[in-house]
Amino acid sequence: MKRKAYGRDIGLSVRMVITMLLLGGLYVAFFVALVTFTNLGVVPLIVLMGIFALVQYFLSAKIALAASGAKVVEREQAPELHDMVERLCAMSDLPKPRVAVIDTDVPNAFATGRNPKNSVVAVTRGLWERLEPREVEGVVAHELSHIANRDVAIMTISSFFAMVAAMLMRFGLYGGMFGGDRNREGGAPVWLIMFAVSMVTYVLSYVLMMMISRYREYAADRGAALLTGAPEQLMSALQKISSRMTQIPQRDLREVAGMNAFFIVPTSVKSSFAELFMTHPPLEKRLARLATISREMGQATR
Amino acid sequence: MGFGDVLFGRRKLKEAKGERLFALSTARITLETELHLKAADAAAVCFKPLSAGEFVRAENELQELLDLAAAQSGSRIERRSDRFGFEWLIVRDPDFEDLVTTVHLISSELQNRGFGPQLLAAAFRFDGGKHPVYWIYGYKRGAFWPFVPMGDQKRDNAEELELQAKLERELPIEKDLTRWLALFDAPI
Repeated sequence: MKRKAYGRDIGLSVRMVITMLLLGGLYVAFFVALVTFTNLGVVPLIVLMGIFALVQYFLSAKIALAASGAKVVEREQAPELHDMVERLCAMSDLPKPRVAVIDTDVPNAFATGRNPKNSVVAVTRGLWERLEPREVEGVVAHELSHIANRDVAIMTISSFFAMVAAMLMRFGLYGGMFGGDRNREGGAPVWLIMFAVSMVTYVLSYVLMMMISRYREYAADRGAALLTGAPEQLMSALQKISSRMTQIPQRDLREVAGMNAFFIVPTSVKSSFAELFMTHPPLEKRLARLATISREMGQATR
Repeated sequence: MGFGDVLFGRRKLKEAKGERLFALSTARITLETELHLKAADAAAVCFKPLSAGEFVRAENELQELLDLAAAQSGSRIERRSDRFGFEWLIVRDPDFEDLVTTVHLISSELQNRGFGPQLLAAAFRFDGGKHPVYWIYGYKRGAFWPFVPMGDQKRDNAEELELQAKLERELPIEKDLTRWLALFDAPI
């Protein structure tokens, strides 16, 4: 699973960051405890983490569907959406993913799945109803680009490496400080240092992960521009989605908050919180890049 | 898709493969004699036009291209856009060989002008069965697949699979069934 973005009131933002870090920290703590209280070496430990990551990876589509409340729809239930997805897939030479609809008024969309053959693209009812068809197309193309670029795999792998980095850091320090002599006195404070170092490493890798995530968003925006041939449609879609979202009361936002990393625009935009911790780049930057792409497309291709 | 595409995201769309279109010329004989499906005198090319700055150039070149294709082949060519923002070029010609040739000409001309990646599909219609039969050519895949619509958003999969089985040896047919794109509103 990918991670959340943060609300625009500071209190909520702080709470969310803390939650996310705690969640990751718990993961690290679990493994630290495992090493300390069992005699597992570093290799079996990393293997165990690998298994955790694999489970996440293989269940990604199921987890995302369950968490967002998206329902897979057949062609008869949403013929136009299916047509749109099919054509864009044919354009980008992707197998057709499953198509899902989330029954909420908030316009948004996400895609998930470990590989193109096992992926799902989901749009909210609000997206379909409030945006023009060409704008919806831009959004769907963005999501299909995530699938084509294998972003779930990329994010799962990078979060796995974040865990391993935290782990190795701890082992490295352990070995370096004590030269392998594990029987020395002074257990508890040393333990605490180890724990802190693991955590700091984890936080740093987390920031890096968010950077990767934002980079993938730009890549997907570019993919959508290529696919639809119309970057301006995605630009207006992003603007509509963002402005609508800020108008909607918090209650509604929270209903879908767990799915932020997958959504095209996180449900809480314009965070005053540091960009460092955001899964998505800020709207203005995305629009600026799309405008550049639009200009480039205007130049002769021959 | 290459490793670089995964790492950095795709930077361009796949180029079209139009050369296998001609296989339908020979397959038509089997379709007519064995399956009693008669080719309609119309076919269509579907592509995604660029908007933005490219639009004006594309527009001028497209008109030029259509005039050229019409003059060379003697086929009639119409244009239509659909609600998905795709452009359809409808080719009419009573002679099936000419029809296929014109469709190929149009697509290779689009490719020559740098619009190859924008090509989606070509559709050929055959009548004589319970439902109309379309052979759709996917430019990205360089392969055909059958499409038999039964009215309201349903397609006759049994018939489609049968068509695949019967024409497998003559036509390059797309093996991955998930790629068998439907074109319910094909304007032919």
